Amino acid sequence: MTPAITPFSLLFASIFTSNILLANFLGMCSFISISKDMKSSNGLGLAVTMVLTVTTAVNWLILQLLQTLGLVYLRYIVFIIVIAAVVQMLEMIIDRVSQTLYMNLGIFLPLITVNCAILGVSLFMEIRNYSFIQSVVYGLGSGLGWWLAIMALSAIRKKVEKAPVPPGLKGAGITMIIIGFMAMAFIGFGGMLQVQ
Amino acid sequence: MKMSPEYAKAQANMQPGVITSDGFLGDDRRPIVEIIAEDESKMEQLHVDFDEAAERMHRLLDEGRKGLGEPVTVDGRWIVQVYEARGFLASPFEDGIFRKVNAQVSVAENGRPGDLQLLYSELSLHLMEKYHFLQGRGSPFRLEPHRIRDVLFLQNTLK
Amino acid sequence: MENAPAIVQALVAPLSIGLISAVLGALITITDRIVNNYGDLVIDINSGKRKLEIKGGAPMLQTLAESGIFVPSACGGRGSCGACKVKVKSDVGPHLPTEIPYLEKEEIEQNVRLSCQIKVKDNVEIEIPEALFNVQEFDGVIERVRDVTHDIKEVYVKLPEGKEISFSCGQYGQIEVPPYGKVRAPTQRAYSMSSPPSDRNHLEFLVRLVPGGIVTTYVHEHLQEGQRMKVIAPFGEFGVKDTGATMICVAGGSGMAPFKGIFQHMIETGEIETREVWYFFGARTKADMFYLDWLNELDGEYEKFHFVPALSEPQEEDEWTGPTGLITEVLASYLTDQIDRSSPLEGYLCGSPGMLDACMAVMRKFDMSEDRIYFDKFA
Repeated sequence: MTPAITPFSLLFASIFTSNILLANFLGMCSFISISKDMKSSNGLGLAVTMVLTVTTAVNWLILQLLQTLGLVYLRYIVFIIVIAAVVQMLEMIIDRVSQTLYMNLGIFLPLITVNCAILGVSLFMEIRNYSFIQSVVYGLGSGLGWWLAIMALSAIRKKVEKAPVPPGLKGAGITMIIIGFMAMAFIGFGGMLQVQ
Repeated sequence: MKMSPEYAKAQANMQPGVITSDGFLGDDRRPIVEIIAEDESKMEQLHVDFDEAAERMHRLLDEGRKGLGEPVTVDGRWIVQVYEARGFLASPFEDGIFRKVNAQVSVAENGRPGDLQLLYSELSLHLMEKYHFLQGRGSPFRLEPHRIRDVLFLQNTLK
Repeated sequence: MENAPAIVQALVAPLSIGLISAVLGALITITDRIVNNYGDLVIDINSGKRKLEIKGGAPMLQTLAESGIFVPSACGGRGSCGACKVKVKSDVGPHLPTEIPYLEKEEIEQNVRLSCQIKVKDNVEIEIPEALFNVQEFDGVIERVRDVTHDIKEVYVKLPEGKEISFSCGQYGQIEVPPYGKVRAPTQRAYSMSSPPSDRNHLEFLVRLVPGGIVTTYVHEHLQEGQRMKVIAPFGEFGVKDTGATMICVAGGSGMAPFKGIFQHMIETGEIETREVWYFFGARTKADMFYLDWLNELDGEYEKFHFVPALSEPQEEDEWTGPTGLITEVLASYLTDQIDRSSPLEGYLCGSPGMLDACMAVMRKFDMSEDRIYFDKFA
């Protein structure tokens, strides 16, 4: 059953109330390591958003095919292959279309293939039975949410750098704590809308 | 051991043909964090301090440069030859570019370069100093901890 | 599906995955074909002097080389030497992070690019020195390899039948060694020609072993006589100026190369009888010196040719009676009281950047004007 949720609400929900990073804690490795640098965070955020939107759409189509063939149990492996292939093609197309964008994305685009948020969104899309439009919107929203979260974290980390953090907590330690606080703050949005 | 993207990128840059044709890793297939961890513990066992070794290597490089390409005897103990080549090499950690300056430090034996030698470049010295990365086994610029100790005469610095 | 035999069911999963992968692979290939097909393009060199019709998509350095225009490149297109600079007059996008470290501020403003880093994706207009039209690629054969010291080899390359090279003394060539050991791609490095231009069928290079160096290690450990080797030449502007001024030449080690060719050429033209030449050759010990007999012979035979070998750290067994000290100190002492400074002087240097700087400093101190000091920074 396709859930009855308007695309606009879904977009809002995926950015704020069920932010893929802060509600589901997916895509953590790059989130923690890249957020050190604001410029890279921006590039990665942009790349994640683009790849999420495109792969969710492609994976929705593939999923329909798998369902007709009764091969849904293959979805994990198929999704991963599709994501890898789509990222490859996307990279080539961006290289041709916009050098500036290509340079901004740099190394991040190929790295995204192994970002768990990308696979996560495709799997949620399947579990929640989204329609095509919903899937695309959900992919886009999750990407924007991820982008928002990493920009926020890197801004906070810039401030924290100057703060007297106990030596043992420096780096990843304090970052995890900050992410915890951010997640709690985002729970505040939770009351507005629920998507599960 | 899981590596941060910074180190993963560095490891990719260290493959043959990326920055230098023969790479930084030699035949070593381990993740660089493991190489670093192993060398750190070796250096500790040998009581060789990275900073102290690096400082001495910097000084030998500077002295060797005065030879204008020919070998120079330093302190009567070492014969240092510094090779300079056109161009620059980027650091695999993407934190700077370095001139292609290599120093070959040999322990002098009767005024001739002996077999006990240490070869390093401005870049390999930077990698050792900043990341404690001594390169993979089989890399031409691999810095073996016991060789660092022996060539630089650091064995008596136990504090 | 449920009714199919077990063996068919077991095959469904791998077959489907295989099929999907194949389809995606095909899609990637098709995208590559479409996206990276830039079609037939034109490179316009020096405002119409030459027009190359090429296929787009590849780095400019490589594209030019395929059309017979060889832009110098000491690293062979890896983006590590910064030699392959080309001025691009049409828009090819912003400077890449891999180019910026090698470019001066003015060069960036004039849109000078590293030709190995930018791809040809559209019709472009570029400007290069006209001398590059003269550069050729030769499929040479190693005629002779011999040790001149423990770490310097003399490599004599025969050019293919029917091919000739015309170059001037002091220019350099790029030699290419094949992949070996862990080195997986052919590697090029630049070396000065030490043969005289009159030998039009051969090129000679002096290669000093640099520890860890890819090409020098290959030349010293693997290069065999009779083997083929690719040579691209001639490049460079270093050479003797036709002014008749006294030449003060300084070189050490394989920096000897251009001077060997220059002196041979001067003997052939007879200039060696009429022009004052001082050649300062520095080494650490006698074992590091070479061509001593030949140079001493020239010194004895020609009144105006002066050969000054100097050792920085002579050993007892060398029984050295000549000048000692760094070549810069010897140069300074000769400039003080041996060389006639009333006639015009020209400096000719070949060596590492550090050696050049040190020699220039000495020459400046003796009022030699900087624009009359010519040098060849070698790799």
